[in-house]
Amino acid sequence: MTEEQIRIEALERELLQLRQQLEEAKASNIAKETFLSNMSHDIRTPMNAIIGMTALAKKHIDEKARVADALNKIETAGAHLLELINGVLDMSRINSGRMSLVSERFALSDLLHETMAIVRPQLEQKGHRYTLSTENIAAESFYGDSLRIRQILVNILTNAVKYTPDGGQIDLRVSESMEGELCRLCFVCRDNGVGMSEDFLGRIFEPFERVNSTTNSKIEGTGLGMSIVKKLVEAMHGTIDIVSAPGEGTEVTLVFPLPVEAETVQTEALRGKRLLILEADEALRAAYRQYLDGQPLDYQLVSSAAEAFAALADADIAGQEVHALLIGRARQDSGSLFDIARYLSRSFPALRLLLVSDDNWAEIEYRAERCGVRGFLPLPFFRKSLLKGLNSLFADGEETAGAAAADLEGMRILLVEDNFINREIAREILSSAHAAVDEAEDGLQALDRFLSAEPGTYDVILMDIQMPVMDGYTAAGRIRASGRSDSKSVAIYAMTANTFAEDIARARSAGMDGHLAKPIDINILLQTLRQLRR
Amino acid sequence: MQPYQERYIANTAEIRSLSDLYRHAGADFDTWFQRQREDRARIARLREENLALLQEQLFPVLDELHSAPEETLRELTDFAAQLMDWKTNLDCGVYVAVHDAMLSLCRFRRDRDGVIRELYLLGMGMYYLRRTVEGVDLRWSGTFYFQNELLFSEAAAYLRYFEELPNEETKGYIIRSLANISLCTRESKRRIAISARTLQILQDEHYRALAPSLPWDAFLRRTHQQMSANRSELSRGSLSAEELATVLDSCYEVFKPEESAANPSIRWLWPYYEMEYSCGYVDQKTTLERLESLISRTPYDQYDVSGLYGNVQLPIYYGRLVAGDEKLRADPLRLRFLEGAYRKMLKALLCCPTQRLDDYFVYLLDLVITDFREMEGGLLYSDVMPLLMQRFTGELYIRSRRAGALLRCFSEAIFDRESAFFDDIPFLCAIADPAQKRAALLDYAEGCGLYHDFGQIKMNLARTQQTRSLFENEFQMYRLHTVSGYDDLRKRPSTERYADIALGHHRWYDGSQGYPEEYVRTDSACRQMTDLTALVSFLIDEYEGDLPALAQRLLADGGRQFSPLVTAWLTDESLLAALEEILRCDGRDWYRSVYESAFGAAPEGECFSTS
Repeated sequence: MTEEQIRIEALERELLQLRQQLEEAKASNIAKETFLSNMSHDIRTPMNAIIGMTALAKKHIDEKARVADALNKIETAGAHLLELINGVLDMSRINSGRMSLVSERFALSDLLHETMAIVRPQLEQKGHRYTLSTENIAAESFYGDSLRIRQILVNILTNAVKYTPDGGQIDLRVSESMEGELCRLCFVCRDNGVGMSEDFLGRIFEPFERVNSTTNSKIEGTGLGMSIVKKLVEAMHGTIDIVSAPGEGTEVTLVFPLPVEAETVQTEALRGKRLLILEADEALRAAYRQYLDGQPLDYQLVSSAAEAFAALADADIAGQEVHALLIGRARQDSGSLFDIARYLSRSFPALRLLLVSDDNWAEIEYRAERCGVRGFLPLPFFRKSLLKGLNSLFADGEETAGAAAADLEGMRILLVEDNFINREIAREILSSAHAAVDEAEDGLQALDRFLSAEPGTYDVILMDIQMPVMDGYTAAGRIRASGRSDSKSVAIYAMTANTFAEDIARARSAGMDGHLAKPIDINILLQTLRQLRR
Repeated sequence: MQPYQERYIANTAEIRSLSDLYRHAGADFDTWFQRQREDRARIARLREENLALLQEQLFPVLDELHSAPEETLRELTDFAAQLMDWKTNLDCGVYVAVHDAMLSLCRFRRDRDGVIRELYLLGMGMYYLRRTVEGVDLRWSGTFYFQNELLFSEAAAYLRYFEELPNEETKGYIIRSLANISLCTRESKRRIAISARTLQILQDEHYRALAPSLPWDAFLRRTHQQMSANRSELSRGSLSAEELATVLDSCYEVFKPEESAANPSIRWLWPYYEMEYSCGYVDQKTTLERLESLISRTPYDQYDVSGLYGNVQLPIYYGRLVAGDEKLRADPLRLRFLEGAYRKMLKALLCCPTQRLDDYFVYLLDLVITDFREMEGGLLYSDVMPLLMQRFTGELYIRSRRAGALLRCFSEAIFDRESAFFDDIPFLCAIADPAQKRAALLDYAEGCGLYHDFGQIKMNLARTQQTRSLFENEFQMYRLHTVSGYDDLRKRPSTERYADIALGHHRWYDGSQGYPEEYVRTDSACRQMTDLTALVSFLIDEYEGDLPALAQRLLADGGRQFSPLVTAWLTDESLLAALEEILRCDGRDWYRSVYESAFGAAPEGECFSTS
């Protein structure tokens, strides 16, 4: 081969490479254009609603009913837009390889309880029947990114809710199997909804794909959910399988291989205790039997208030003491559980009441406490979570979930936020909970305020991250390093919409105690502050 | 009894007597009006004294009951019993407070017999107290039923130790508690099951032998009566054969002897006829004729139990039958009879002598308010209810009329400056002619005042408030006057436009406080008028002779408790002057209408025959 030929061949190879790169660039460009086109459409739709409804509200400013209606629609469109932007940010992080997963200990019962607390209102709104069943649950605590797993589960369940006509059936089954050192945590979500065609199943993980049919044309969604789910599952080395057919519903199987935390629960505090368990649900009664048989305590299951009284009468006649009552689901003729709790806590003050419920504790806490409930066990429970819940009930002097402070009176908070409206919202929330609030508009001001105040003045600093002059990380770091007597003890919470794992880690390394997501959720903010107060 | 206890009973009885509008019969209006004012002043003084007696004498005793001597406990029990003989129900709330404390004491002392006795007695007290919310939808009143049930259930749980418990009196409380659980549920199958279980025990020789001194036959009859109260379920097709047989058995036990008597009482005769109809033994036509005959033959001024039953309860049943059947609703003869029966019922109610205004009468009044049926061309709910308010809740009527006058004045001022202010209210918005619209608005405003507290008409608690302040448990029930009034008003075309006002006038403008939560301001088309009513109601309660000062307070609260759209008008001095004039007036005209209702000519009302 001549030198000339060798050069020509090299040039041809280079040319081929360049052609391939050009093709890839073109494909990438097309993908970007499609993405931008889809995005602009999906962003424009709610934006149109916001602009149009705002104009309509202004036009009819004196007609209160129309204004209220327009505001409701703006609120819905705004929430949809936020969901879309969050989805796009997630996608962007995943695609650029910047997404990092955390590996933290989490409890399966908490994961399921929190997931169902999010999905249940949607299920109930559409009148769906639903079941949550478990089998072979041996490990209860795992290491993994529970927030991401919850995000995946919520997405799958929300799809099941959306694409199942009203009054449908949705079942979530959870099981475990060991594979070497790892536990394969398996979730199977089955619905009897509209189902999907084979053709669509092939494209389901593509961004902006949605099932289209005449029956669900009004279903809202960004079309990014399944794409994100797929990438998250893969990032966790898990699998996702979907079986579906039009009109026959859908079954989604998720498997996550996770390290298990080996933990033991002490049962000494339960020795000799006598429990009464008000529970009418057969599956839960079976769970109690499964988990409590063999434990060093006595228990009796009853299904109504009348049966509970009979058991208490038995104990009275026998001269025995009943130490605790677990209040779950009673027979329908048994009235409100809160009424039962109120009556029993008043009539039998020595009886410790533990509420066992799938309700969101934050929503029922106030009412439950007023009825004398001293602890809360979220559903579903497993052996260890049940025993831990019982332990907390008998750990005298230790506060239980039900012992939250009524408000934030006496708490002094330094609110650091450059945005005037955000500051105003936070101030309103905190003041309404009777907290004393001082304000700073950037990190430097916050540092000055902290250093010029008497040590111990502030209980909590709520710190924005992105601010002019000095950002929140720097300010937190300088406060911690200031050497004042309270520089280490004052709680610093980041207030940021930035909830990526690495940013949360950065906040921690800057000395912050935690973070609160924006937009500010009143309940979470107050709950966090109440916990701090305790 | 202690002197303070005797004093409290005497004061309460006197207040009850003073609040009776018939008290000064025969006097001309001016004299009557003057005496009414004196009576109101006397009631206010007695109420103050009652509060002091409770706060300074009774409550300290209850606080330290653990160390109280037995004599004190006996006196307390006597005192409570005097306050609540089952007929006059002088003060059920104090009865409940005393027995609640006694129950705590017995629990503390681990006195099992005492606990069971007090559970029963407190359960009975709660039952009478809870009857205040008898007609209110279970969504709101269910908790009171259940609280009552828990008391009886705890006592009844000792049935399984009937043999072991030595005290026969305690055994009696256990059995009656079991039976009375049926009083605490509106679910018929459950009621029947509880009564059936009680009947089984009452007829069991083994149980009888364990407590021979108990009045078993009286218990049996009372339980049969409770079971027979389920007879209306017979025709609904929801009962099993066994349940049907059980209810029928009790009906025969209770009603058959009466039906066979030489001169059967209507009170027992009709239930027997009703049972025959429900079981299909007799047809609808025969049943209606029987009912018409019973109603027609009862003179309107027969005020014994049978007479009231025939004049009030039976026309209500007749109305139910007619309204529930399409053919009957179109039958002019039946409608004509119903109209006559209703008129006679109204006459009987309005002319009822004071001494007959007992617990049964209150029950009948509730029945009329809850179950009166508006038929086309017939008497309207809005014709009847103001008359009943005047006659039986005179103070409430006068307060409501005062609210109506203030609302009229306020609405007029707003309309004259901003005629579209009330345009969210559809029927007003639909009126094009400004003069007609103005007149309709002013009428509506007056009606809103009249009906805003309508729910209180059924509540004995309004009467209790004249005697003392309400206890917390009573106040929880009292709050239900909003939903109760809403429910009754919205069901009748003539009053449905006032329903939202009754529901929402205690809810804060910003939704943060007040009650009930069910009222969502932005969902109500009548919210502007409800806002206005809330403010007017506050003015009446808080006015102490200086409206401009009060207006400043209200202005400061605009956007929280009160609508800023409404409080903004309080800067108008001419409006304030007009409102103050109404607030200052002694309500003479409104008292006159009450006087005429009490002593004027009896309204017309005789039954027609359809045969």
